[in-house]
Amino acid sequence: MTTTTAPAPTAQAAGRPAGRPRLVPWLLRLHRPALYVWAGLVLVLAAALAWLWGPLTDAAAAAWRQYDACDMNTRCSYDQDAILRYKDVYGYTTFAVTALPFVVAAWSGAALFGRELENGTARLAWVQSVSPARWLAAKLALPALLVAGGTGVLVTLHHLAWTAGRGRIDTAKPWTDDLTLHAGGPTTVAFALAGLTAGALVALLSRRALPALALALCVTGAVRAAASWALPHLWPAVVHRSGLGTGYTSGGLEVEHGLITTGGAHIADPGCGPTTIEECRRLYADLHATAFYTRTHPYSHYWPLQLTTTALVLALTGLFVLAAFRVLRRTTGPAAPAAGDTRAEAAKGTPARAGRA
Amino acid sequence: MTDTGTALRAAGLGKRFGRSTAPWALRDCTLRLPAGRVCALVGPNGAGKSTLLAMAAGLLAPTEGSLTVLGEHPAHARPRVGYVAQGKPLYPQLTVADTLRVGADLNPGRWDAARAERIVAAGDLDPRARVRTLSGGQRTRVALALVLGKRPGLLLLDEPMADLDPLARHELMGTLMAEAAQHGTTIVLSSHVVAELEESCDHLLLIGGGQVRMAGDIDDLLAAHVRVTAPAADADLGGHTVVECRTTGRQLTALLRPGGPLPEGWRTFPPSLEELVLAHLRNPQAPALTPAPAQSQETHA
Repeated sequence: MTTTTAPAPTAQAAGRPAGRPRLVPWLLRLHRPALYVWAGLVLVLAAALAWLWGPLTDAAAAAWRQYDACDMNTRCSYDQDAILRYKDVYGYTTFAVTALPFVVAAWSGAALFGRELENGTARLAWVQSVSPARWLAAKLALPALLVAGGTGVLVTLHHLAWTAGRGRIDTAKPWTDDLTLHAGGPTTVAFALAGLTAGALVALLSRRALPALALALCVTGAVRAAASWALPHLWPAVVHRSGLGTGYTSGGLEVEHGLITTGGAHIADPGCGPTTIEECRRLYADLHATAFYTRTHPYSHYWPLQLTTTALVLALTGLFVLAAFRVLRRTTGPAAPAAGDTRAEAAKGTPARAGRA
Repeated sequence: MTDTGTALRAAGLGKRFGRSTAPWALRDCTLRLPAGRVCALVGPNGAGKSTLLAMAAGLLAPTEGSLTVLGEHPAHARPRVGYVAQGKPLYPQLTVADTLRVGADLNPGRWDAARAERIVAAGDLDPRARVRTLSGGQRTRVALALVLGKRPGLLLLDEPMADLDPLARHELMGTLMAEAAQHGTTIVLSSHVVAELEESCDHLLLIGGGQVRMAGDIDDLLAAHVRVTAPAADADLGGHTVVECRTTGRQLTALLRPGGPLPEGWRTFPPSLEELVLAHLRNPQAPALTPAPAQSQETHA
């Protein structure tokens, strides 16, 4: 039983060009249920937001007009159900959009990467003609596209729905509300991408599905908290002065507040109150305070704040990606196969098998 | 550039997992496997067999030393190397047919669909069955179809027949050997059960304690050793390499690499492969028997 020929391509295999691995069909085949769930989630949420944006906002705004026209002395009616329905749907959809990055992170850590590294199917992919780095790149790029697309549509709809109610619905959330601010802006898209890449990184580090799930959630939560904390500091705020007799007056997204001294310095407010109280008047005099000040962001800073925060989170996401590739490279070694050098060598042949095969 | 006569070559290869204080999984491993052989990679549990195979498959980076596979860095040889890990991981949610489609998708230009389908069909497997519903033997068959469909020049199998019943083992070994012989594939099969490999393999690589203990053609290794019994009183083993020696009463039994003609009156027996392997594993101080780097087998002084 000896052969002298190398693994010769069969007619069928030789007829096909030695093209690139078809990574997209492979990924879609593996994660078809996740794709369906994601598509369903995006569709349902988009429908709810469109409903909120159109009919619910109009009905609630009309009800508020009726309510505001009411004279307290005479009986009048307004559509309270419309107001409550708007409030409920707004609350649920805002919460759902806020939760999306966490859903993505959990799936990425547990299913997309953790499970594969735990049960060895990641290695199964690496021993095909696809390098580990290319495997990771494909598994990040395609989901990133779908995640960014889906969350992008939803935050756009959320922003439109919120804008439609602004000034028409008395209890509409202000733009400074943390959930509203992020659910209607690109920061949530960045959070979702950070969740996806954090899931990959912690899964490559832990190589276990369950710890990767928990860690991915923690990292995403930390990224979100850090972004919320950093956001007001990422664009120059506007300083408002107000007299000691009137107290703080300005609205918007506050960065800090305090007292201005005769020398112009900003110092902490002891929290006494306006100068109508004699005791406070004396306290301010001792501090040489001349006025209150607040540093805030007006609504016109909405987009600069959104975009700088998004850029910051995307930079973090880039670091996660870089770290994930480094961890993978440390495990599996460097280098990817150079293209085109393999077929000729394979055909050079292996010598006859001697012995007992 | 490419060393077509050598399937696997390692020099001073070592792997340590984790920190620099961790023990070595494999150390100072130097070996050469000629192409076209069916090599048994044998050693006790934890000897470093899986580590060596994973490094050859480009899944693990060596800590030290060098390793070439089919004349190339393992990462570059990836398209021409087939590897089946211990436990034969497959995507459980996919059907058999989808699993083969994965092979086609990820091995462009190399995939032999007919070959893969033939191996699956020989096992009476329903292509629409999900992998998670298959038995151990069926899973092994699908794993072999996936790895052979890639038309590898070198096939690395980590304990492929463990957890299979004797019938499935015999059947799959037959499939594997027939496919490999037809295409001239070099195979490295690891196992800690020597008897399992004796009939199919023509080359042996014995690893113990993270190092190569014995390597070469099985026929040559067997021919280089002899089991002798002699009266203990007049037995002079000088001039021979003693692998193992036992004295019971007035009788001496030894496994030798003869350095010259043996005295008349000594009874000699050819050792079995299992005896040879066990003797080397029981006696770590016995000199290792490995081929000289440039040759495929060692000649004895």
